[in-house]
Amino acid sequence: MKRLALLAAFALLLPRPAAAAVKVVSSIPSLGSLAKEVGGDRIDVESLGKGYQDPHFVEPKPSLMLVLNKADLLLYVGLDLEIGWLPPLVLGSRNPKIQTGELGSLDCSRAIPVLDVPTTKVDRSMGDIHPLGNPHYWLPPANAKIIAREIAQRLSQIDPSGAATYQKNLAAFNGKVDAAAKKWQPMVDKMRGVKIVTYHKSWTYVSQWLGMEEIGYLEPKPGIPPDPDHLFRLIQAIRSEHVQLLLVEDFYNLNTARLVAQKGGAKLLDLPTDVGAKPQIKDWFTLVETILTQLSGAMSRV
Amino acid sequence: MVVLLVALIATAAQSEGPDGGIAASDAGVAVAQGAAPDAGQDEESLRRQLEEALGKDAAAKAAQQQGQSAQGTQAPASATGGAAPPVPLFRGGQSLNPDVSAILDAEGGYQRRPLLFVNGDDPVLRGEEGKKAAGFAVQEVELAASAIVDPYFRGDVFLTIPNLEGLEVEEAFATSTSLPWNLQIKGGSFRSAFGRQNGQHLHVQDFTRRPLINAAFLGADGLRGPGAQISWLAPLPFYVTFYAEAFSIGAPDQPESGTLPPPVATFGGGEPHDLTYAGEVKAFFPLGDAWSVYAGLNGATGVSPGLFQPTNTGPVVFGVNRRSYLVGADLYVKWKPPNVAAGYTSVAWQSEAIWRHLDDTADMPGGWDGGLYSQVVVQVARRWLIGLRGDILGIPTSSALGQTLRASTSITFQMSEFARVRWYLEAEHAASGSSVPGVVLPAVQPADSVASFLQIEISIGAHGAHPF
Repeated sequence: MKRLALLAAFALLLPRPAAAAVKVVSSIPSLGSLAKEVGGDRIDVESLGKGYQDPHFVEPKPSLMLVLNKADLLLYVGLDLEIGWLPPLVLGSRNPKIQTGELGSLDCSRAIPVLDVPTTKVDRSMGDIHPLGNPHYWLPPANAKIIAREIAQRLSQIDPSGAATYQKNLAAFNGKVDAAAKKWQPMVDKMRGVKIVTYHKSWTYVSQWLGMEEIGYLEPKPGIPPDPDHLFRLIQAIRSEHVQLLLVEDFYNLNTARLVAQKGGAKLLDLPTDVGAKPQIKDWFTLVETILTQLSGAMSRV
Repeated sequence: MVVLLVALIATAAQSEGPDGGIAASDAGVAVAQGAAPDAGQDEESLRRQLEEALGKDAAAKAAQQQGQSAQGTQAPASATGGAAPPVPLFRGGQSLNPDVSAILDAEGGYQRRPLLFVNGDDPVLRGEEGKKAAGFAVQEVELAASAIVDPYFRGDVFLTIPNLEGLEVEEAFATSTSLPWNLQIKGGSFRSAFGRQNGQHLHVQDFTRRPLINAAFLGADGLRGPGAQISWLAPLPFYVTFYAEAFSIGAPDQPESGTLPPPVATFGGGEPHDLTYAGEVKAFFPLGDAWSVYAGLNGATGVSPGLFQPTNTGPVVFGVNRRSYLVGADLYVKWKPPNVAAGYTSVAWQSEAIWRHLDDTADMPGGWDGGLYSQVVVQVARRWLIGLRGDILGIPTSSALGQTLRASTSITFQMSEFARVRWYLEAEHAASGSSVPGVVLPAVQPADSVASFLQIEISIGAHGAHPF
């Protein structure tokens, strides 16, 4: 009898059947925001990293394993962006559904035209490089559409009865993106040919989209902190190339960037790169619009 | 228990297999299925039918052929992308090789006398009893290979060469990835989840040497060996995981004559069928974005091989095959802001305590001994970390060597994620003589000692991320 009671107690602690909504967990909030666009009410979204965090360095806290434990679908940026923290969390989540290779594990980079793929043999003398290419791809509208399409397709496989809804939402999202792009066009036009310097090499996709020209980076090599010699050369380049903007992700320390911008005569912009970077940036549209407004605003005042 | 585990893996493999297969087919099929969703009962019966069919297939002699044709129709998920085909990886980018890496820990150093309570991965200078030593050491070379094995397991192999002597298997184990009910099993040879330090490899440490209690109670190589572990993540609103482990741990090497006796080994004695058992529970509480509290309670029991007292005619062993019990607690509190916009400062405070009980034997009284350490590591700048640690061994006694106290500090400069230089200094006080009646031990000479090392640590290749 006692044994039965124990068994019953144990059974109570076992995971209960999932609620109706598909539980989607994203590594960064932007992917979660895109998922919400296509998932609507059929999905619950939670993000492991926060928008104000450097996505390379999220602390792999065990509490995040608990979030992953209940997930039906894990969305991650891929291209080794989360290599330093996500794998132990996925293993520790004890959730068979989201292990690599399973339906519940979606590498959102799989259909993205990846930039900065190394063309020569790479090693770490080049800094903390991403051998698979640049993973900071979620801002341009064309890429957002690709990510949304991939998510819609995977959600349809996980939750077949919602497939029609996901396709309908995807079409609506694409329409919203087109409308937004139209609205953004004057701001986009302002940026063509603008010379910029960035902190980390994370604006490549935005530069390509807007036609901006990247002259240099505050980091001498990806992940390697700036040194005086490099900054000295960079300031000279900013002056000689007439660089107008210095872009820094808002999770970095701004002191060095401020000095370089001031000495070189460029305007410093402290920009969000992810949903949730600031409380008012609640979705992907607000994120991109905030970035474009700041960029074009800076150009109007130059 | 073993049978239960095998059965669990088998059911996981069976239930996962067909799901994956159906899911991996193209989206068109998935949509078609979705158009006529089955009621819950129908799904159950369909599942049962599928399981039966699969069972029959497995039993049939022609199963092999059928299996092959079934596999042929299973396109990998990545091949069924969206409207646009996925961008292929550049040539040579795809590889089924495991992540392979090598990590080197080397140093130059000085010690007033040979180190006490030496861990297997501590730096060893060519020292003699009572004499000072200076020179170089290659503390450890680690070779690691890890990869996902198949849809059911992940595999990890860590080979080490401590102090250039012999190739050791520090760990080599399989971890399950697909068990139901929040269970996970680990099999092979691995480090126990007992405490916080014991599970960590050398290059995760913030100090050049491990704490005193590790070598004293868990053994020079730590509590590790061939064994099996089952763990369960409790479905609670906060993170709690339970671990149960069993190990076959061999007896430690017999000491050479003329050396100080090694600490009484907790495990590795008894009959060949005597196992070492351990159980742990770990809980984690995130307090906002910046604060983390990670706490553990640990217990273990085994058979002690006894105290080896070296004499001119060979070692004399006291207290052979006593049952030993360990209880421990560990606490890790970390403050680290979620981003570096305001600077790179972080603080981590870590403390562990272990108490041991040994039963009585005719030639040696039993009793409690124990020890603890507490350390603070402060990141003062992007590349600089400063650590302070205090160790005490022998609360209330330390089985043989009297009370030992140690204070140490480390200053670490991290050039990149893959290289760091560390200066380490320790000052140690070892009380003389034996704390066990009837056992005569030579005094540690000199009682007070210092040791210092300048350590370089490099990591090449792809090394998997470490847990929190």
